[in-house]
This record gives sequence, structure tokens and C-alpha cells, in this order.
Amino acid sequence: MAERVNPYFLKELKKYGDVRIEECFNCGNCSAICPLSTEEDNFPRRMNRFAQLGLRDRLLASKELWLCYYCGECTKTCPRQADPGEYMASARRYAIASYDPTGLAKLLYTSPVLSVIFLLVLAVAIGLFFFQASAPMDLQTLRLFEFIPSALIHNAGIIAGVVIVLAALVGMVSMWRRTFQALGYPKGTRLDWWGAIWKAFGVEVLGQLRYRKDCESSAVNKPWYAQKWFIHASMLWGFLGLFVATALNYLLELLSVKATGTWVPLWYPIRLLGTVSGLFLLYGTSLALLRRFRKDDTSYEKSTFSDWTFLALMWLAGVTGFLLEIAVYLPPFAWSYWMLLAHLIVVGELLLLAPFSKFAHAVYRSIALYLWTLKPLPESEQASAPAAAD
Amino acid sequence: MSTNQIKVDALVVGGGISGMQTALDLGDQGYKVAVVERKSSIGGKMIDLSKVFPTLDCCSCITTPKMSATAHHDNITLLTYSEIESINRDGNGFKVQATKKPRYVREDDCTGCRSCELVCPLEVSEDEHEFGRTSHRVVYVPFSTAVPQKALVDLDHCLFCGKCIQACPSDAIDFTQQPEPVEIETRSIVLATGFETTPINAKKEYGAGKLRNVISGMMMERLLAPTGPYGRVLRPSDGKMPASIAYVQCAGSRDQTLGVPYCSRVCCMYAIKQAMLLSGALPLAEITIYYMDIRTFGKGYEQFYQNAKAMGVEFLKGKVARITEDENQNPIVRVELIDEFGKTRVTERQHDLVVLSVGLLPGGNPQPKFGVPVGEDGFVQVPDYNVFPAVTSQPGIFVTGAAAGPMDIVDSIMMAGAAASSAASYLEAGNGSRKEAQRQPERSVEYA
Repeated sequence: MAERVNPYFLKELKKYGDVRIEECFNCGNCSAICPLSTEEDNFPRRMNRFAQLGLRDRLLASKELWLCYYCGECTKTCPRQADPGEYMASARRYAIASYDPTGLAKLLYTSPVLSVIFLLVLAVAIGLFFFQASAPMDLQTLRLFEFIPSALIHNAGIIAGVVIVLAALVGMVSMWRRTFQALGYPKGTRLDWWGAIWKAFGVEVLGQLRYRKDCESSAVNKPWYAQKWFIHASMLWGFLGLFVATALNYLLELLSVKATGTWVPLWYPIRLLGTVSGLFLLYGTSLALLRRFRKDDTSYEKSTFSDWTFLALMWLAGVTGFLLEIAVYLPPFAWSYWMLLAHLIVVGELLLLAPFSKFAHAVYRSIALYLWTLKPLPESEQASAPAAAD
Repeated sequence: MSTNQIKVDALVVGGGISGMQTALDLGDQGYKVAVVERKSSIGGKMIDLSKVFPTLDCCSCITTPKMSATAHHDNITLLTYSEIESINRDGNGFKVQATKKPRYVREDDCTGCRSCELVCPLEVSEDEHEFGRTSHRVVYVPFSTAVPQKALVDLDHCLFCGKCIQACPSDAIDFTQQPEPVEIETRSIVLATGFETTPINAKKEYGAGKLRNVISGMMMERLLAPTGPYGRVLRPSDGKMPASIAYVQCAGSRDQTLGVPYCSRVCCMYAIKQAMLLSGALPLAEITIYYMDIRTFGKGYEQFYQNAKAMGVEFLKGKVARITEDENQNPIVRVELIDEFGKTRVTERQHDLVVLSVGLLPGGNPQPKFGVPVGEDGFVQVPDYNVFPAVTSQPGIFVTGAAAGPMDIVDSIMMAGAAASSAASYLEAGNGSRKEAQRQPERSVEYA
């Protein structure tokens, strides 16, 4: 197959981070020091080579790009100081922008000024959208979901959700097609589609096994709760927990068990799930922001604007959420209503931008982990089974 | 105590191969030369080596005659176990203050008979040449071919039992010796301060010196040398004869994490040389060289490399990223290997012994004492390297050998010629008007 070379590829990549991979002389130190590199799936050196040679399509078809958790070992030991870790991170940003057909991701990654303007305009738009539908504030008793009707929030959420999923799907399909093709399984190979699900999504995505066991091996000086994998897992678990709690809450309303905004005690399962998840989210984002601010790890030394905005939005979502929970007990209630509006704006931005921001790594990394786990069925089943028709 | 005064045409700082050759070249031309050597014997790094590439000549056999010639040359004054304290420009020349450290053995009286060594009851670790793999007595002659062949006392470990004093037939032991100042008046200076090798513990990924069966190229030289500690190649942890030996190239060169971006020029060749010698010493051993690039640029070097390949030495392209060890202290190297089709695999391979091909670092910084600037790499700066390879920015101060940059023996000797020639031109050009009386009527060109 003909290979297309893009001579401007490296120049383009440099817009997405501090890429200096042209310094690399391909000694392979990075791949060999990488705790995640295995006999077959090794990186980052091969990825470096793609950038040097202008092999854009090969880079975008590399699942290895998404297997990296940026522990920084390669950067610390690179004999050329070519910073392979930061290159991988930049290449992931580039990939997110490339899988996204709208160009919004590219704008958010490459232009901090336009990003700020865009984020502000979007915030005002979301704010106005909810504010124009609001009822007068009741300062005697807190009626949050009469101020902004819960039905409006739910419906707006569902419509936004559909848009987000559709936008994300375009990128996911694009990435899946490229990376799956690159695996190079001969046509008719029977793959263990089901077997890979638990290992990829259960063990790796939710359990963060390789992040926990391999990438932290050198970070002996930090207790587990301050390690990068746990900070990352806190955010992941916290976000997923809040998402599930919100969905269940809506489900209970649909089933007419409990209307949104009905007061329930703290131990009420859904509220408890939401509160605990919120704590996880807040813990993870706070520590991540703090460690990025302190630059106390190789991977935190070169934070881009996109890293900060993603973390800041997540953190604000957590903070406004908790203030809202406290607001119930603390009259006068005027600020509580504003807090609800703020929370809606932050969460709205976070979700609407998911396919175009750092958030998108969640789906691409999951797909990559799935493809990494996906292996052909054993020889016996290959032979007995009829060849797949395609 | 009277101050010793020496008046010479040229002062050579450092008695390694390049310094000795410069001194001999200048001495043969009739110039008076002083050689100041920090250690107790001249010979430098070369006398510690096993054989030289690409000819596989025995190192002792070609270094010792040079050492002797230097020591016995009519025009050369040798100051071993001495340090330069300061230099001052004085008209067209220099006034140099040096200190002769006390050997606690009167050099003039000692005959090198080693009677003292035989009766000394204490042994201490031999760190200077053998990396602690063997020991020497507290009063000792540095090594069998040391020049001068004079004993010295390691006062820190001495019990003052007095046995050596009784045993010495020429009454040379003198515990009252003090550092002795020496004033050297010279018209030119040649820096031949040489190099050091990357410390074995420099790289954390290579075990930071804690893995017992990971040794440096210099240690392997001693294991291979006929005068070495064991007389054969044994690995440090258990004395086993290694059946599988790996070389890790660029273990200290071309590595910016160690602040060494340059190529040390000698490591490829010494690794190949050692691999060949090992093939002779341990015919059944498997020898692997992990390399980034093989740089065999000198005369006969490429053929040397091809010979090693033909002899069955395995060359694998890939930079070793990490060395660990198993429960039997066998080193395990982790490396990305790239085959000729571009296929890569990250793999771990176990060996019995790993040799780090450590790089060359500057032997010291001559800037404070000599006012000669050093480059970013720490080696003496030579402003016009292509045209005047041995001329520094300071008039009358020249440089030779690995003090100017990483260099092998062949180049060091060639550069010594260049330095001697440049220094002679400088001396002849009227800088300090050379006195006819200093010239020897008949030149003595026969060494020793």
C-alpha cells in the first residue's frame, strides 16, 4: 500500500505542545525504559519516527498512542532530551483534533485566546438559555427546580447528550477504522470480541491496572492516595459516579418514584452515590491542579491551556455542585439560585465540549485499550468456525 | 628545607602517554623539559590497559619503554607524586609553584627492591588501578612496571610498626617527610592532563554502581591484562567465569541526561577489542555488543570491526535503557531491538556479566590554574583546532592528548608530536630568546 508522506506534519504537531522530537536519534531508550512497552506493543520510539518521517496516517492509526499514561520515564532518561513523553501527549491532542471533523478541537488546542473567547461566549449562551426560562426566586423556601424547571434541564440535557454522542461517534468511528485496520488481522480471523470487554473496560479502564501497577513503579516517594493513578482514578470514578447518580435520579422521576428536587436524607442511595462521587471528583481535580501547579512530576511540567481548562471545568463542576448541596441548609437563598445557574453553565460547557477537548481521551483511550486487549480466538476455534463473511 | 628550583624550556603537565611523548619529542630536540605527574608513577591510563586497538599490541610492552625513556632522558626532569599549585607569567616565561607530596620514602635512596613491601604486615585495597579487586601493602611500589620504581607509604593506614625501616637496606624510609615546594621556571607549558571515565554509578538506570556484575570498560581492561588482579576473567559477585558477556555502548557518551552530548570516540573500538580478547580468554563465552552506532573511523578500525563480527561477536542495535539483576545477580538488560526490516521488539536479556562502555570526561579543569578556557564539554578549548590543533588561547601554553577532547592512543601520540612541534616553534620564535648554551651538542635519541 502506498504510504503518503506529509512534509509539514512535524510543523503541524508543534502547535499542539512542546514537540522537539526532531532531536530524536532513534536509539530506542524510550521504548525500552517504558514500563508499558511489551515485546510487540512498544512505544514511543516508533511514534517518534512517524513524526520525523511525516507518516501522519500511521500515527493516527496507532493504538499505542493511547496506551501511554505519561509517567515521564522516557523524558527523564532520553539521551537527546527529545522529550518523548510530551511528544506523545501532544500527538494525542493532535489525534483528537484530527478525528474531529468540525475543527473545533483544533481551535481549542492551538489557540488559547480563541478558546477563552469561545468558552466565555458558550458560558453566556448557556446562562441566558436557562435564565430566560427562570421563574422569580423564592427567598423564603428554596425551590431550585421551580427557579429553573427540572424538565427544561432534563430535556436540554438529553438534546445536548444526543448531539455530544453523535459528534463523538464521528471521531470514534474514524479512530476505530484506522486503528483496527492497522492491527492487520487477515480477513476472516475470528477475534475474541467478548473476552476483551471485561479486560479492557473492567480491568484497564475502570481498574486502571497498568497505570497503577506499572507506571507508578518509580514513584516510591508518594503514598498511594497522592499517586498519579489514584488522582486520575478519583476523577474517573467521581465523574462516572455522578453521571450514574444523575441518570438514576432522572429514572426515578420517570418512574414517578421521586421528583427531582425532592428532599431526601444523605443516606438515600442515589444522593449518597452522588455525594461520594462528588468527593472523589473534587479530590482528584484539586490534587491534579495542585500538582500541575507545583510541577512536581515530569508529566506536569508542561501543562497546556487545554489541560488547565479541562481540569478547571471539572473542579468547578464539583465545587458548584457541593455548594448547591450545602445551599439547601443555608438561607438566604438568593446565592443558591445563582449557584444552580453557575453549576448548569459549568456542567454544560464540560459536556458540550467533551468530544472536542481533553475529555475525548476517555473514549479514544478506551477504544485503544479494547483493541490492545482484542486477540484472535485460539487456533482450534479458528479452524472449526466458518470464516466470517466480509 | 631548601626550595628546589628547576629551570626548563617546557613544562609538561601530566605523565600519560601524550605527556610522555611530548616530553620525549621536545627532549630529543634538545629542549629541557620537566614532567609533573600527580600520581606516584607515570604511564597514565595507558599502562593500565590490556592491549591496544587495532593492532592488539600488548600495552605494557609499548608503554613501559616510553616510561623508561622519559625517566632516563638527559633533558627530562621527572616530578612524580607532585601537584601544580599556581602559575604566574614572568616576562616571556612562567613561574610555576609545584608541591612534591611526601612519599615517606626518600626517592634518591630507594632502589625499588621491595624489601619493605615484603615485611609490611598490612594490606589495603588497591583502588587506584585495580578498582579494589586486589590489595597492596601499606608501603608499596605502585605496580610492577611503575616508573619511577620507588616505594611510597600510605600513611593513613600505617601502624608505624617500623618493620619497613628495619628491612630497608638503604635506609630510605623517612616518616618525617613534609610536602616539598618546587619552583619551576619555564618558557612554555604543555597541558597533558588527560581524561577520566564516566563513574560507574553515574547512571541510575544502570544500577547506579550497585549491581556487582556490572563493571566498566576500564575494569574489564584490568581483568584482561596479564598483570590484572586475577590473571583471568572472573565476574565480581561470585568469581564465576562468565559464559555470556554484554557490552552496553554509549554508557556515558551521547547522553544529555549525563551532560555528555559528545561521542567519546574510543568506546566502540575498546569494546570490540575487549570482545576479541574475551573470545580468546573465554572461547565458549557468548559476547554481545548493544550499540546505537558503531563508529570505527580510524585506520584499520573498520576491518577490526568486521573481524570481530566474523569471529562471532554479536552486534545488536539498540540502546540499553535499564539494567536490573535476578536473584543470582545475573544482570538483565532491557532494550528495544530493531531488526534489518525495521521490526522492533522490546526485550529483556540476561547475561552473566555486563560491561558499561563508559565515556571520556575531562581529567580536571585547568582553567583556574592555567587561565586556559575550557569548552562547554569541559575539555581545553583550542581556538583554531583545524590549523593549530595544540595551540591554546594563552600564548606559550599548549595542549595535547585527551585534555583537548576525547581521543584514542594513536591520536594522542600524534597530537603529542603536534604539541611538541608547536611548543618548539614558539620557543624558537624568539619568545624568551633561547640560549645556545642550553642546546645539547649531541642529541641523545636512544631511549633508555
